[in-house]
Amino acid sequence: MGSLDGIITGFQTAFSLEAILFVILGVFVGTIIGMLPGLGPISAIAVMIPMTFGMEPATALIMMAGVYYGAIFGGSTSSILLNAPGVSGAVATSFDGYPMAQQGKAGKALAIAAIASFTGGTVSVVLLMLLAPALSSVAVSFGPAAYFALMLLGLTAIASLSEGSTIKALISAVAGFMVVTIGIDAQTGTQRYTFGNMNLLEGLDFLVIALGLFAIAEVCSLVLSRKDKSIGDTHNIGSLKLDKKDLKDMSGPMTRHSFLGFILGVLPGAGATIASFISYIFEKRLSKNPEEFGKGSVKGLAAPETANNAATSGAFVPLLSLGIPGSGTTAVMLGAFLVLGVQPGPMLMTDRPEIFWGVIASMYIGNIFLLIINLPLIPYFAKILKIPRPLLISLVIVFSMIGVYAISFNTFDLYMLLLFGVIGFLMRLFSFPAPPFILAFILGGMLEQSLRQALTISNGSLSIFLDDKIALSLLFLALLSFVFPLVKQLRKNKDKATEA
Amino acid sequence: MLKTMNQKVSLVLVAIGALYLFGAFRIPSYPYAIVDADVLPKTLGVLLIVLSIFLFFAKDSETEEQKKRRDIPKKEIGMLLGVAGLILAYILLLEVIGFVLTTALFIFFCSFFLGYRNHVASGITAVVFPLVLYFMFTELLSITLPSGVLPF
Repeated sequence: MGSLDGIITGFQTAFSLEAILFVILGVFVGTIIGMLPGLGPISAIAVMIPMTFGMEPATALIMMAGVYYGAIFGGSTSSILLNAPGVSGAVATSFDGYPMAQQGKAGKALAIAAIASFTGGTVSVVLLMLLAPALSSVAVSFGPAAYFALMLLGLTAIASLSEGSTIKALISAVAGFMVVTIGIDAQTGTQRYTFGNMNLLEGLDFLVIALGLFAIAEVCSLVLSRKDKSIGDTHNIGSLKLDKKDLKDMSGPMTRHSFLGFILGVLPGAGATIASFISYIFEKRLSKNPEEFGKGSVKGLAAPETANNAATSGAFVPLLSLGIPGSGTTAVMLGAFLVLGVQPGPMLMTDRPEIFWGVIASMYIGNIFLLIINLPLIPYFAKILKIPRPLLISLVIVFSMIGVYAISFNTFDLYMLLLFGVIGFLMRLFSFPAPPFILAFILGGMLEQSLRQALTISNGSLSIFLDDKIALSLLFLALLSFVFPLVKQLRKNKDKATEA
Repeated sequence: MLKTMNQKVSLVLVAIGALYLFGAFRIPSYPYAIVDADVLPKTLGVLLIVLSIFLFFAKDSETEEQKKRRDIPKKEIGMLLGVAGLILAYILLLEVIGFVLTTALFIFFCSFFLGYRNHVASGITAVVFPLVLYFMFTELLSITLPSGVLPF
């Protein structure tokens, strides 16, 4: 069986000295960036991509995966200490983590978060090892029609699950798709929207979009909030020790939400944020003393922390086995794969087992180091939160600029970065979510290609989507995910109207 | 007439959609393709306009907090424009005087502009940070950054 050989190769790759060093570096940097207010895994991954140039793809991706789950973990630290989640996936963590910190038990809260993250991360990697190859072998048989439908489902799911207005999320996705049509059309060689500009022939690089919409836009928000004094007032962290009762309280939620979080992470559009919220609500419903929630409950902290880390590994399932990211963060992760010349998808497991299994196997190591690094170093990490805002802003800008410049060596892209930073900031001001935009941008090229391939096979007839059973059912799901929130919103409006 | 923010935004979006669609109709056709290069842009243009019309009539779903985000004091808008100006200056100077000098100047002046007055700390950051990055990129990653007027 080839898969066993693959697993062995993967573990060999992941346990090489080089890979271990880089996974440590990855989780370390990820934790720090994730802790910084506003800078989440998307910015962390995008900023780190230039560092991987010239590295061995397997090692580079092992490091990037470490950055990803490190950033998710780092987000919870600032949630607990400052009630200022660095990432949306850590918002639910602050519900009980921050009250606990206010009671002088910050150390305990951080320890619970670290152990819950470790459990969620580790259990879900086992599940990832089981599910990803199975899905890969199914996906090998997918034709272009099914692929098109699958990507469309990913887009509609993320749009309908985004916070706020579904229409705005869809507009955001369409806009991302529009931007990707800039450049030479891959199928016919026709120039589209290049306005005769040489620099636009190859289209815009995804780092320009990712760093612009997330990092630079975040800089604008940081500029506005730079005078908020609340940051940096961390009191004593307190003891990190947990007693037996705490561990007993944690075990239930940790088991449940390792699985639930993983499943939610696999589903397109869901991801860490939704997983953590659902877990929190679920645990509260299940609890005999729901009134404790929100006041520093151990269970209320362990549940979302387990779930958001489990969801992180879950999100790797569609990314590795289908080559289709289900969230904004995994979309940027896919970008990191493509920059290194690796195309994730059903063939990755057989063609590049050292990458497929190496990345998965490295997650065991990464999670262990996350625990080892975090528990003793937490008090020192907390100091990073005190870095003066003006300095932080300047450094984030510089990092983003070099990141973009190092791919193209062209200042044109830097102007584009600034432009997309402005666009990203305007989107924030008017509550248009950015993740659908970046997902549409990453998927856009593949989506168009598979659509046109499918229609070329069928000689232009749309019936190919009806004949392909997989495509048809996926399209149906996409339609459902699209109609459902609209109906829900209409109902809400009606209720409001009758109340008034 | 335009009461809600949604309505104002949707009009801007319709205009963008129309411009994009106009561009889509000017894409030259390629005779041998079953699905030509202009099909998708035309679809997207129409889709954006349709969605914007939906947005025009949609109930305002923004929370108070989201609305508050738009109340930016005039002085802060000046700050944002100032930072944008500094970024532009960075881009213009990068290939002329080189990465290390431009970055050092940028870190120092941008922090100063944003109200950071600890000159020693920002001076040290401005010198150390670009040098470390420069050597990391050029030596470890073999990516050449513009050296500019400095001799290395």
